[in-house]
Amino acid sequence: MINDFNYLKPGTLKEALAMYAEHEDCKVICGGQSLLIVMRQGMISPEYLLDIKHVKDLGYIKFDAKDGLRIGATTTHRAIEKSDVIKKIYPVMISMENKLASIQVRNWGTIGGNLAHADPAGDPGAVLIALKANIKIGNAKGERTVALEDFFVDYFETVMDHELVLEVHVPAPEPKTGAAYQKFNLLESDMGIVATAASVTLNDNGICKDVRVVLGNAGSTPIRVKRIEELLIGKAYDENLFAEAGKIASEDCEPVADIHGSEEHRRHILGVLTKRMLKQAWEEARG
Amino acid sequence: MNKYTVINPHSKFTVLNTHVHNIDGVAKVTGRAEYTFDVKLPGMLYGKILRSPHPHAKILNIDYSRAMEIPGVYGVVTGKDTLGVKQGIWRRYKDLCDEQVLSVDKVRYIGEPIAAVAAITEEIAEKALDYIDVEYEVLPSVYEPLDAIKKEAPEIHEGVERNINVTRHIEWGEVEEAFGEAEYVREDWFKCGGQAHMCMETRAAVASYTPEGKLTVWTSTQSAYYHQALLAGVLGMREGDIRILAKYVGGGFGGKFELDGAQFCSAVLSKKLFRPVKIVFTREEDFIATKRRTPMFYYVRTGVKKDGTLCAREAKVFTNGGAYTGMGATALYLTGFFHSFPYRWKGYRYDGYRVYTNTLPSTSMRGFGAPQAMFCSEQQIEWIAADLGLDPIEMRRKNSHHEGYEVPGQATIASCGIDQCYDEIRKWIDSKGKLPANRAIGISACGFMSGGIFNWFDTPYSFSSAVVTINQDGTVELHVGAQEIGQGSNTTMAIICAEALGVKVGDIKVHSGDTDHCPADLGAWGSRQTLMTGNAVKMAAEDAKKQLLEFAYAQSGLNIVYDLDIKNGWVHAIARPERGEDFVQLVRKALRGKDGQRIVGRGYYTPHRKGMISPAYSYMLQGVEVEVDEETGKIKLCDSMTAHDCGQPINHLGLIGQLEGAFSMAAGYGYLEYMPFEDGKLMNPNLVDYKMIRATEMPPANIAEIDTYEPEGPYGAKEAGEGLTNPTAAAIGNALFHLFGIQMKECPIRPEMILNALKEKKEKEQEKKGKK
Repeated sequence: MINDFNYLKPGTLKEALAMYAEHEDCKVICGGQSLLIVMRQGMISPEYLLDIKHVKDLGYIKFDAKDGLRIGATTTHRAIEKSDVIKKIYPVMISMENKLASIQVRNWGTIGGNLAHADPAGDPGAVLIALKANIKIGNAKGERTVALEDFFVDYFETVMDHELVLEVHVPAPEPKTGAAYQKFNLLESDMGIVATAASVTLNDNGICKDVRVVLGNAGSTPIRVKRIEELLIGKAYDENLFAEAGKIASEDCEPVADIHGSEEHRRHILGVLTKRMLKQAWEEARG
Repeated sequence: MNKYTVINPHSKFTVLNTHVHNIDGVAKVTGRAEYTFDVKLPGMLYGKILRSPHPHAKILNIDYSRAMEIPGVYGVVTGKDTLGVKQGIWRRYKDLCDEQVLSVDKVRYIGEPIAAVAAITEEIAEKALDYIDVEYEVLPSVYEPLDAIKKEAPEIHEGVERNINVTRHIEWGEVEEAFGEAEYVREDWFKCGGQAHMCMETRAAVASYTPEGKLTVWTSTQSAYYHQALLAGVLGMREGDIRILAKYVGGGFGGKFELDGAQFCSAVLSKKLFRPVKIVFTREEDFIATKRRTPMFYYVRTGVKKDGTLCAREAKVFTNGGAYTGMGATALYLTGFFHSFPYRWKGYRYDGYRVYTNTLPSTSMRGFGAPQAMFCSEQQIEWIAADLGLDPIEMRRKNSHHEGYEVPGQATIASCGIDQCYDEIRKWIDSKGKLPANRAIGISACGFMSGGIFNWFDTPYSFSSAVVTINQDGTVELHVGAQEIGQGSNTTMAIICAEALGVKVGDIKVHSGDTDHCPADLGAWGSRQTLMTGNAVKMAAEDAKKQLLEFAYAQSGLNIVYDLDIKNGWVHAIARPERGEDFVQLVRKALRGKDGQRIVGRGYYTPHRKGMISPAYSYMLQGVEVEVDEETGKIKLCDSMTAHDCGQPINHLGLIGQLEGAFSMAAGYGYLEYMPFEDGKLMNPNLVDYKMIRATEMPPANIAEIDTYEPEGPYGAKEAGEGLTNPTAAAIGNALFHLFGIQMKECPIRPEMILNALKEKKEKEQEKKGKK
């Protein structure tokens, strides 16, 4: 049962930051798709809720060929899914969003809220780290930008120190870049039991110039598997290498067993997904 | 889009056999349907239940004085405030009545009610639970039937040896002699899981006891009459002083015809406080503190001739009964009976043991023991066909029931469309052509009952009754005790009434879910209402019609060899349909002729001379096309076809809805819905971790309806809403068998199990190679 709380509804970002600074026991809500669940379960019972749904300055999707993509924190998953520019430049984000919960949830849930919640099973985290995204956070005292891979600290914990998520920044992709994401689950729209995001950039000779593999729900935060980068950079397309990368992924993760799968099963699936996503991303990069 | 085809349609009806939208649909989609959750009464309090954290413990003391000090708390009740009646639906078999609902001195599963609080808000009531001090003596517990049956296992119910709650035996023919004729014998062990009923509406009740000594309870139930009688028993009241109201119910699936904590605790609180008390279960409570589908261990030995003729079968079953009997004794019988379906066995022997454990009690759930039976039987049949190199459809066909077949000592089959089901599924398989390498089709056959003949409740009333009253403007009041729970019962009854009376569905007002105004009826379980209440409604409507036609005849001046009828509100001679008069005119004349008394028709139904189990049986064969990711073990259902015989369909839309719903539940049982326990605690009591097929991911559910005529059913109708829960788990298993040659002996079939089976198969193959 949800305990009583005081409801704060700022109109501008400035107001929001001021209110947030004023109340220590305050959680930010912008759709509540994650927050209300933990509140209902009684895991947290904040004194204040700061509703930034109607803050004007935070809902936007902007793209610039040099600067890349900037998504305001209150942008809904559905808005991302429907964005033509994202569909064209970052198609992996569309396929990720398509399977993020249900349309009802995507209509209401936001990208900022999803990342701030820091559930390692969240879909956007792994994909955005693979795309080398940064995140802008801030409070009344100022703003700062951190690489998204450094943003997550532990289960449901981030580097934020009573700060708000303001913006997600995804660099413009280099030419000959492909990316892919897949989660393993029993129902298509479920959270992933485990997931893998991969991004591959090739040079003109088809040799791997850059690669990132990020594992979702394979530990307390999304896991960037650097050993796979070492393995693949400078190499040509080779399915045996993808299999080897899969093996590394199944080693370099820390999945926790629960009723949806044993640790061994999760490691196995991460290996399979890594192999497949690398192949898919590579083939997309080749064009 | 799903395909729905009717094979050999043969009927000429006006209302029946068409597509009728649910008559309560508008009220529901516009939010005006009042469910128990919506009931709000003046002075109403909110109740919450304190539940046992222990799987097995003695209650030494309960002190709720601290809770009473909280402002807003009005009262607390414990087992001591009750009569301590051990209740159950088994009024004829007292030793099976073993559940007090509000425990008096001992708890036997995690979640069992210990005390209930009433307060001015739900929040205060919930908070007060933390201030009730309970002293327990924790006892050793046991969770699995095969452990609980051991000599040294803890005793869960006093004096119940080896925790064996019920045994059931079914036997016909000379079993060993029949095995002697077999040229091939196969035996297998299976393990079938539980399943949550997962009604959209959780258990809920608002109880209001007044100083006049009358109790009214709004509740979510499959049988208002059962709950009236059960509450009377536990509260020491007369049935007639209790009124149950259940106009709208959000699903039952077999889980809502026993007394639950919401009903009992709200009634006890209201009786103590003289205030209305409302209790609505959270989703978690609905998972951990109601009941579930019965998990079963199945041993099956089957003997056949080399040509595929089935000779004999022997089955032994141990079920996980959980802490109390519930409807489990019937599930234990029916699983054994339907395990023989739909085949003719020369010798058949079944022994079932229901074993108490310290887990959530198990009970009836859509299919009533048959989904487990079919998961085992239909896979083993498929394996036997493969072992013998026989066509699995032809092998099934040559052994199947047929019209006129007698299941020895149990049932006579008066209608049976299974033979045509085989043709339809064969056609569907052929139409698919060659499948992709990662896909295969599995099939599974089964049958099901159309209501139970059992009267463990020992009711003196007819199983079903109906009253039809005709108003002066031609509108019709239909009073039934049949329970509408979302399955469309009211619509079905309105259709039958309209057809019989010769008026439109829109002319019928159905009154149900109110024990003060509706006749007693056993309610919505075991697929009984369409046949049983349907017969009562048809009889009542025909009774009223006969009375009307007497007036029509008297004024017509026709020769007595002419027959009169009413169709579409037109009263006419059958031979001269143009000569007649309007139904409303006739009703008005009839009223005058009866000195103003309304025309009232009565009907009832109680099965007689229909064997042990049910008045009629439905049949079906299902094919599912399954895709499996060999590396991850993930299953996807790509397509399905069900050939189905429910006699004469009453309402095609209703039938389609029921079949699709049953299929989604059956598929869920086959590969998704899984209830893992650790130390007696359910590990996934929420809808994030308990997986059900969502509407957006529902696989295609094509239907070929085989139109047959069941002489015992109204207009030839029989079961349609439940049987299709039975075949799918086995069909999925059979698809996996054809895809990989693996045999899945446990359900639900989860990805990890598939990968393990593949691994095991590989290892065995390598071992073989090594030996060579």
